[in-house]
Amino acid sequence: MALIIDRKPVTEDRWQWPAQAQPLPAAGPVVLPLARWLEQADALIGRESGVLVNGDDDLEQILALKERVRLVAIEFPTFADGRGFSIARLLRRAGFSGEIRAIGDVTRDRLAFLERCGFNALQVPDERYRPEILAAFDEISVRYQGDANQPRPAYPQS
Amino acid sequence: MYQYTEVDQKLVEERVAQYRDQTRRYLAGELPEEEFRVLRLMNGLYIQRQAPMLRVAIPYGLLSATQMRKLAHIARTYDKGYGHFTTRTNIQYNWPTLESVPDILAELAEVQMHAIQTSGNCIRNTTTDPYAGVIASELEDPRPWCEIIRQWSTLHPEFAYLPRKFKIAVTGGPEDRAASQVHDIGLHLVRNAQGETGFEVLVGGGLGRTPVIGKQIRPFLPGRDLLSYLEAILRVYNLNGRRDNKYKARIKILVNAMGIDPFREQVEAEWAQIRDSDLRLSPQEIEAVKARFAPPAYEAGAVDHDLSAQLAENEAFRVWYEHNTVAHKVPGYRIVVVSLKPHLKPPGDITDLQMEAVADLAERYSFGEIRATHHQNLVLADVKQGDLLPVWKSLHAANLARPNIGTLTDMIVCPGFDFCGLANAHTLNIAEQINEKFEQVDYLHDLGNIRLNISGCINACAHHHVGHIGILGVDKKGEDWYQFTLGGSSEADAALGQALGKAIASDQVANTIEKILLTYIAQRESEEESFLDLVRRVGVDPFKEAVYGADH
Repeated sequence: MALIIDRKPVTEDRWQWPAQAQPLPAAGPVVLPLARWLEQADALIGRESGVLVNGDDDLEQILALKERVRLVAIEFPTFADGRGFSIARLLRRAGFSGEIRAIGDVTRDRLAFLERCGFNALQVPDERYRPEILAAFDEISVRYQGDANQPRPAYPQS
Repeated sequence: MYQYTEVDQKLVEERVAQYRDQTRRYLAGELPEEEFRVLRLMNGLYIQRQAPMLRVAIPYGLLSATQMRKLAHIARTYDKGYGHFTTRTNIQYNWPTLESVPDILAELAEVQMHAIQTSGNCIRNTTTDPYAGVIASELEDPRPWCEIIRQWSTLHPEFAYLPRKFKIAVTGGPEDRAASQVHDIGLHLVRNAQGETGFEVLVGGGLGRTPVIGKQIRPFLPGRDLLSYLEAILRVYNLNGRRDNKYKARIKILVNAMGIDPFREQVEAEWAQIRDSDLRLSPQEIEAVKARFAPPAYEAGAVDHDLSAQLAENEAFRVWYEHNTVAHKVPGYRIVVVSLKPHLKPPGDITDLQMEAVADLAERYSFGEIRATHHQNLVLADVKQGDLLPVWKSLHAANLARPNIGTLTDMIVCPGFDFCGLANAHTLNIAEQINEKFEQVDYLHDLGNIRLNISGCINACAHHHVGHIGILGVDKKGEDWYQFTLGGSSEADAALGQALGKAIASDQVANTIEKILLTYIAQRESEEESFLDLVRRVGVDPFKEAVYGADH
């Protein structure tokens, strides 16, 4: 997987992503799916953790973790599933300042919209990654609407 | 009319470059088919039965003579010399090549046009009253609000991948010429007890497989809160609308499944979070947009004319005047409807030369502006009464003056099986059959106002459920058959039509309409009782009997 954080390619992912069958790693930052995170909530106290969610998860449960986790990974099972855009907006609005990472079917033509909705980390499948996809962020410079990064819409800005 | 700022112009130019690159990557094999499909749809490009089809946006139906000339140029250069106006007041080209679309978009950008969000699961072109700003019954011109919605909804980063398409219509007064009650969101400008102007908000209307009349979610929304309320509705829909079945993904299904009251509670809870945010429109912002729609410089001298004498001595002109023009709120002016329903031509189609003829007339007689209507006609909104005769003569010469507005042959018809990849049945041959049968203008006028809508499949692009007479084409073992509904309406008294009975064979459609109309003439109490009034009074049974016999 190719990882872009704050518009820059990142080679090392500092987070560990144990599979469902694997035990919790002894140390280091770890990301767990929401259900498993909630099961292990006590074991995660005092430890740097992240949570993996998707559009089927309960939004209130996700938002309730905003003080406990430093990363929320939002899964896009297909690029056409737009729920993740709203989840990210709501997380930022709730004051979450950690990493919001898009994973799954995450490719070039949605990167700019993802960033505008509050994602700062984008995990692109290797076969779809090329260095030039970073140009996607600047393809459209005009923003009629406010967004997670710029609350003022375009017309009163001018 | 609204002219692009530098910001608007930059957006369309950047979008052209972006789409050009997407097309290049697709043709180079870098962009998978299914991803490009979604991207091209968001730019109005379908792959149809014969060729790609490009749908160009005409925001709230308003275009300039310059823009119309560009549309004619595109028809001539990239298509087969014509275009087709749709019920969303957009225009479709049926024969462009996929490779030429970036160039077409670049041409459109030169005249402040684009094809952004004319398809796809995103917020589509906002539609409104074709008589906006010129009809006396209007509370307020709805177009500034449409423009505010246009900007907010264009490339909205959060709502580009909704569960399904999303359509908004705005009306400016008590009459509804925008079919607002069958939209995902219908906005009605109303005045509250304090005399303030705002919106009645409807949600969850729609046609297609599950036709539903929109439900009121809020009786009064202050204008300044329009965008925050829309955003709240869209967010609740984006998070909760079904994504497992595209036939159950529209907001109407969500509203029905949750119930309007719980749905409203969720929207209002979300709205409370964002109502006081930067989405609130300041009075200055609203006034700045309204100023872009200031009335044209009407001439006080327009009241002096010899129209009465002209009407008295020219029967054909008089008939056209009575049927194809509408009272204007300014003395001395008249609204002219340009009929795109000539005899034996596909409804809504217009040639490059006709487009240029309309552009010329708009420039010479109507402040250079043209409107497209939900009924697939065009409007010259500001014609001096003294100019009506030369306007009629020019329209007549261009085959755009058939005096049939509001009559049976002013049908809404989708392109059907001849062009559309979704269609189950042909529609254009049926329209032709009806035109042949009901050629006589006098007869049509005697029937009064009749809305006939013909769709070639269940997706209901021609709004058959809300036609006074609705016809739906279906495929039965490879043959086209046609189901009738009666008594629908898309206006302020919106209703869904009731089924007449079993489907009709394709060669019997016009004959069936004739039986229905003869029943109407026989049963109406007077000429004052319209077809729709009669269906509402007596129901469909007398019509069933006339069509299927006593043993129906």
